[in-house]
Amino acid sequence: MLFSVQDLHVSYGSIRAVHGVSFEVDEGEIVTLIGANGAGKSTILNTIAGLQRPDQGEIIYRGANLARMDAHNVVKQGVALVPEGRRIFGNLTVYENLRLAGFQVSRDDLEARIKLVYSYFPRLEERRDQLGDTLSGGEQQMLAVGRALVTGGRLMLLDEPSMGLAPILVQHIFEILAEINRQGTTILLVEQNAHMALKLANRGYVLETGSVMLSGPSKELAESPEVQRAYLGG
Amino acid sequence: MEFFVQQFVNALQLGSLYALIALGYTMVYGVLLLINFAHGDIFMVGAFLGVFGSITLDLPFVPTLVLSMVLTGLLGVGIERVAYKPLRQASRLSVVITALGVGLLLENGMLALTGANPRSYPQTFITTRVYDIGGVAISNVKIIIIVLAALLFAGLYTIVQRTKWGMAMRAISYDKFAVPLMGVSQDQIISLTFLLGTGLAAAGGILWGVAFPVLNPYMGLRVGWKAFVAAVVGGIGDIRGAAAGGLLLGFIEIFVPAYGDSIGISSTWRDPIAFGLLLIILVVRPTGLFGVARRQKV
Repeated sequence: MLFSVQDLHVSYGSIRAVHGVSFEVDEGEIVTLIGANGAGKSTILNTIAGLQRPDQGEIIYRGANLARMDAHNVVKQGVALVPEGRRIFGNLTVYENLRLAGFQVSRDDLEARIKLVYSYFPRLEERRDQLGDTLSGGEQQMLAVGRALVTGGRLMLLDEPSMGLAPILVQHIFEILAEINRQGTTILLVEQNAHMALKLANRGYVLETGSVMLSGPSKELAESPEVQRAYLGG
Repeated sequence: MEFFVQQFVNALQLGSLYALIALGYTMVYGVLLLINFAHGDIFMVGAFLGVFGSITLDLPFVPTLVLSMVLTGLLGVGIERVAYKPLRQASRLSVVITALGVGLLLENGMLALTGANPRSYPQTFITTRVYDIGGVAISNVKIIIIVLAALLFAGLYTIVQRTKWGMAMRAISYDKFAVPLMGVSQDQIISLTFLLGTGLAAAGGILWGVAFPVLNPYMGLRVGWKAFVAAVVGGIGDIRGAAAGGLLLGFIEIFVPAYGDSIGISSTWRDPIAFGLLLIILVVRPTGLFGVARRQKV
């Protein structure tokens, strides 16, 4: 088992956002967490990434417990979050955004990884000296994924990568994600766009108000009446 | 003409000193959105560490400068760790009041330690020479101050623009949330910011003490406030702005009394005119010369 979350509880003050969530991700898989707004999806990813402290529970990656680790150390372990809203540094150029993501990476690795990112997203190379603020939403999402690759993340956490993007762009980015996965990066994907997410993922978990309601292979989930009614408009 | 050149050099000297101090305000504000009101007093400590180096340890100029910059830089890092870091989640008001308290502690601590008699550096610290450049008499002290300040600024600018540490500092000022996701420890970058900002204030303190050799524990108040205003006028958060604001203030403060008399303005009007002009700049450009409006993030 590459990665597992066991009995995770997270709250903001007195508001309990996640109670008792458990799931697993195997090496090389794409796993998705789907669910409506407020189901706790983003909270789970932020907690894994070390931005939020859990009240209880374990987050095990390659035998190490990430649950009490600071965010910059989680990155060092090889877990990279592509945050909701992309959070590109708009006052830094495309290259500087990538360079900064390689803060803990050796010079040689850094140049190789930036080259790899440019090969996935040639648009970023064309715009390498442009400020992040001047990129389109799709380009910003590419840069956000690129940064996660540069950190050396072997497990990539993606929070709503389709948000605010035109369907054709979403299609394009999901194709690249599939390619990145084929090259050996494991992916945990959080989406409101359940249709796209289930198409890309091997397996999925359906979250409702902070708990796992359903889980299974993507195909079965996509065909289940509950998921169809609630998330696929069937 | 000679008079003008002389005043021009004086203005450059004073402006460079303000700029060195203003950099610390602007850098700390950039990463923490905190006005470090103890910064003027840190500048004072830097100047007094110059007394310690030059008189107590009998060191020459350059080692004294380096010693004071390093020790003051560490003091700045320590102050942030002890006084400001525990208040990261507290209201801005609490932090500002804490900063004022730290300033009082430094002033009165120094008063208790060194007494109320003004200090100065030894005559041998920098032996004054006066050069005749095209009929204009310019002392080596002024040249040293202006050149050193320019070099320090260039060094800082290179760090901020070219290194990954500088990128991290700029990134924090844009979006604190995403910085740790790049594998960057926010605490480390904040410490580095204090180290550089207070180190530059120490350089400013020593050079100030060379130019105006009367050091007392309250010297940081006036100078600190003026440098703060310079940072705001330049556009707080931008280091080019701090340099521009500092130079601008230096030029106004020198040229108003230098030429005011001939048009019937007494030199006592220096400060009102200086700050009046700066206020007008802020009315026209509320974000300062180099500032951009900050995006509010929710």
